[in-house]
Amino acid sequence: MTYVEKPAVPKVVKLEEPTATERKILNMMLNTGSDIYQGACKKRGSTLKDEYRKVAGIAYMDPKDMAKLGVANWESVKVTTDWGEVVVYAAHSRDAPHEGTIFIPKGPWANVITSHETYCCCDPTYKGIYCTVEKSDEEVLLMADLMRAVYKKYVEDEETIPGLDSLGEMPVYKKL
Amino acid sequence: MEYILKNGIVYDPTNKVEGEKKDVMFKDGKIVSQVSSDAKVLDVTDKIVMPAGVDPHAHVAGPKLVVGRLYRPEDSRKGVTSKTAVTRSETGFSIPSCPATGYRYSRMGYGTVVEAAMPPLEAKHTHEEIMAIPNIDIPPLPLFGNNWFVLQYAKENQIDELAAFISSWLKIVKGYGIKIVNPCGSEAWGWGMNVHGLDDPAPYWDVTSREVLKALSKANEMLGLPHSIHVHPNDLGHPGNFPTTVGTMDCVKGIEKGSGVRNQTIHITHAQFHSYGGTSWRDAESGADAVADYINSNDHVTCDVGQITLDETTTMTADAPMEFDLHQLNGLKWANKDIELETAAGIVPFIYSGKAPVSSLQWAIGLELFLKIENPWQVCLTTDHPNAGPFIRYPRIISWLMSSERRQEMMDNKEVHPWSHRRTSLATLDREYDFNDIAIISRAAPAKIYGFEDRGQLSVGTNADIAVYDLNPNDIDPSKNPAAIEKAFGNAMYTIKDGQILVKDGEVVQVKPSHTIWTNVQGFEEQEKKVMEEVMPTFTKYYTVKFENYKVHDHYAPYPIEVNVQAGK
Amino acid sequence: MAYEEPITDYDKIVENCTCAFCGCNCDDLDFLVKDGHVVGVRHACRLGASKVMEDMDQRLMVPMVRDETGELVEVDWETALDKAAELIAGAVRPIFYGWSETSIETMKHGIRLGELVGAVLDNQATICHGPSLQAVQNVGYPVMTLGEVKNRADMCVYTGSNPMNSHPRHLARYSTFPRGYFRQRGRFDRTVVTMDPKYSDTAKMSDIWVGFEQNGDYEFYNAIRAVLKGKELKKDVISGIPKEDIYELTEAMKNTQFGALFFGLGLTHTLSKQRNIDIAIQMVADLNKYTKWVLMPMRGHFNVNGFNIFMAYEMGFPYGVDFARGYPRYMNGETNTIDLLTRKECDVFMVIAADPGAHYPGGAVKHLAEIPVIQIDIHWGPSTEIADVVLPGSFIGVECGGTSYRMDGVPIFMKKAIDKPETCRDDEWIVNELLQRVTKIKAEKEAIASK
Repeated sequence: MTYVEKPAVPKVVKLEEPTATERKILNMMLNTGSDIYQGACKKRGSTLKDEYRKVAGIAYMDPKDMAKLGVANWESVKVTTDWGEVVVYAAHSRDAPHEGTIFIPKGPWANVITSHETYCCCDPTYKGIYCTVEKSDEEVLLMADLMRAVYKKYVEDEETIPGLDSLGEMPVYKKL
Repeated sequence: MEYILKNGIVYDPTNKVEGEKKDVMFKDGKIVSQVSSDAKVLDVTDKIVMPAGVDPHAHVAGPKLVVGRLYRPEDSRKGVTSKTAVTRSETGFSIPSCPATGYRYSRMGYGTVVEAAMPPLEAKHTHEEIMAIPNIDIPPLPLFGNNWFVLQYAKENQIDELAAFISSWLKIVKGYGIKIVNPCGSEAWGWGMNVHGLDDPAPYWDVTSREVLKALSKANEMLGLPHSIHVHPNDLGHPGNFPTTVGTMDCVKGIEKGSGVRNQTIHITHAQFHSYGGTSWRDAESGADAVADYINSNDHVTCDVGQITLDETTTMTADAPMEFDLHQLNGLKWANKDIELETAAGIVPFIYSGKAPVSSLQWAIGLELFLKIENPWQVCLTTDHPNAGPFIRYPRIISWLMSSERRQEMMDNKEVHPWSHRRTSLATLDREYDFNDIAIISRAAPAKIYGFEDRGQLSVGTNADIAVYDLNPNDIDPSKNPAAIEKAFGNAMYTIKDGQILVKDGEVVQVKPSHTIWTNVQGFEEQEKKVMEEVMPTFTKYYTVKFENYKVHDHYAPYPIEVNVQAGK
Repeated sequence: MAYEEPITDYDKIVENCTCAFCGCNCDDLDFLVKDGHVVGVRHACRLGASKVMEDMDQRLMVPMVRDETGELVEVDWETALDKAAELIAGAVRPIFYGWSETSIETMKHGIRLGELVGAVLDNQATICHGPSLQAVQNVGYPVMTLGEVKNRADMCVYTGSNPMNSHPRHLARYSTFPRGYFRQRGRFDRTVVTMDPKYSDTAKMSDIWVGFEQNGDYEFYNAIRAVLKGKELKKDVISGIPKEDIYELTEAMKNTQFGALFFGLGLTHTLSKQRNIDIAIQMVADLNKYTKWVLMPMRGHFNVNGFNIFMAYEMGFPYGVDFARGYPRYMNGETNTIDLLTRKECDVFMVIAADPGAHYPGGAVKHLAEIPVIQIDIHWGPSTEIADVVLPGSFIGVECGGTSYRMDGVPIFMKKAIDKPETCRDDEWIVNELLQRVTKIKAEKEAIASK
């Protein structure tokens, strides 16, 4: 069967490779879903920490696409869809080749930009969303900061958010 | 609490009371012979008083019920009622939700319902549903007919080991007796196949249905279980299957009965589906004659009919290959559940219509069996709920049995297709059941068949499980008033369970938790230990759960009724 | 990962515990316990082990209530429960969501509470396998228990699912590697096929990888069904797969003795949603005319199937059950959580054993940011960041026993191995307390109203 042949192990494409044409912004398709590192951190309960940011606030991209954007491994990118925009790390995907598709593991970062449209089938559309990806120099936020910046539930004045201190990696509450 | 039901017309066939005007007294949940003057008087003058109903075969609790409810929301949306101060919401028509099942049986005056098929691996699920069903007591029957260990023992004819296996397993899953469904067939379904007849060997195991039935019957009698083997024979629903049915009843004929609380050594369930003649659906005809004749000439057999009620219903059974065939026939959505090492189940919705020739033929065959089997102690009232119809139709069936006129009217008015009288002898049968017969087939006989000594009768010391119906047997002629019969039997004037009034005038007034009835065999401990050691290596290697997590813990049966039997005589 | 020494410092081993992560509910876990804490776990996969060896930094230990400044403040149990009960009793359209990581015993109290106040009870199926259940309602459900696959299957197909990431022991314990009764050579007696647009980790270890196009699932299965019914394919390439390969694959599927199809969120989350599974089920039903095939949805949490089963036997519907009118209603698009949130219908949201802050799309979480949210959970997570009342529960399967249902419907009683922290309470106790308090508040209101 022709589809038995497994694809070649993806080569790390250097940024200066002449075959890669550089672009400022790419139109791609976004998939979100489970990933083993994300699952392990989530259920262990380390979601406030940097390790969760590294496994869930990340877009796995085909190295060729990263070369087109001029993004190195673990640099930030901004992903935008019709429903929002978020800054995440970009990393080489171990499931490449899949040019034109990026994978963000499910979590608060991915869900800023997924579609809530259910088409009366109860499930939101988490996969197959059109997005744009561009290089960014913003920091990827920690989970607590992201929740505050995007949903603003307990913030009096929205304008002040960028100036606020980070909520950190430990639970913040007043003890008795 | 003491009560006295005054002046009712009592039908208590076990005690040979056939329509006598007498008082029934109960105290603290049991029938007594006298009460003090403080007893509360319930005036049931000239009303029918019977023991509460015992349903010998229904599918009310278990994994396949959930699959049915889950995949048929259209059925769940029928029969929705709002919650009241006493009852929760009900949903479902052919597959009622658990609370609805309890309330609806209670309204008909029933007190005990046997859950006919419990897969041992998912027994906890059955017990959870039993906990969710109020107002009735439920003994579950675990499935053994396709179990790999049973097939192995049957093939090697190791009856002692098989008996020890059964007695261990009944304790492990808290089951009441041995249920056998399409022996060897559901195992063949593991490969997409089926077996045909009693002598077709199961693939790989190379053991036939006949060998399995004989082995399980011998083991059942060796243990002295209160119920005999409960058999759903091979070839269900196939035209020309009555020889298999007669053969099934015959193959255990010589086996000596090991229990004194019942008369039979084999109980054939939903016999209507197994009484077809002809060779295909084109020339299908009734095979009820042969089946009824055999039952009439043999005391070791009892049966329940599985009467078609001409409704849209859901068929669900552990005869998985048959369900796939049914799906091919009617094209409606098919569900299936194969259970490792044990059994398989299938579910397909079905519409039995009076306009359809085959449904009408099936309807007539069921009635033929009722009318041709002479001894009402050998036949029970069921619809194999929900397979042939929902249990809420029992009163309707009672009205048909009591009125030959009504049956004739249905055939004359074309409420049923002409095959109902052209292909059967139903039109020639004008026998009518009387109230005593009805009391036998819906209470006394099922209780006797199951070896229940505490229900199905109004003897002193038995449970105060009593039903009162708003009918005066001296005033009413059942053969002329089928509608009134149906209404009265469907809305009990009183349903009393364990001495508590649960239903009054067809409304549920009190809700109480159900009891789980299971059999605990004593005296076989040595053999059980040995068998468990033998069984363990295979269990550990091929099941996907650990043995420690397989058993049904005690908290799954918070209100158990343990029936202890001494193995052997 | 660096080499780590085996753990030798423990007091006792509690055997045959059940894992509380994915729908495999592996019940052969051994917990190594020392001083009342789990210091090691054996036989669990990476996911199960990570959950059991939890991060105590974020363990919710005390009840908390949000104050006016928006900060969580520790309070005692009475205050927290009263506040939560007050919110629930005063709600017009409450939703009780989650349930998939807690026990059936907790759900029993939960449904009573829902019936009392007329809430919507929903679980993770509404963002996960809801479309699978809808497809089942359309066309049927030919399933099996996992042991059947272990003992009989010679072809396992994974589609829209990446078990090596979401159910790591699935292939190891249930479908591919174990030596079954009729498959004594284990992996070598079976063919593993992965159908997935990307070359996922599962694809890397299967025999055949079918990489059809993104959103091309429906067309692909349709083609297989057409070939099964003897039709000729007109297009040369369907969903990115050449038609000769489709013919070959269909032949292979017809010539197995026992095939099993496992499907996951790749089918439910893409645009065709329930139609994808609809056609997968019909494909399996068609294959049954030639040989034996079964399928199984890969449920993601250890008790998500349990909630569907529980709601079905109690009330006849699997999820998204709305009690607002005094009787249960189930209507996809109307009584599902995401729709209720995006239409801004809900006014109080209780989440138990789930994390909508992390896993709901932003459009739904935006409404959660506008209403009071009550959280019953064991870890601080994204939902805690938007919760107004936080009640710390206990860890089912480790600190508290409970019944759960595996993805194939097999019920397992998960044992208790250690005691829970003193300041936490059992989920069952918490929901029951809420039920008692809400009943009291409602009775008082009625007494006042009738005066």
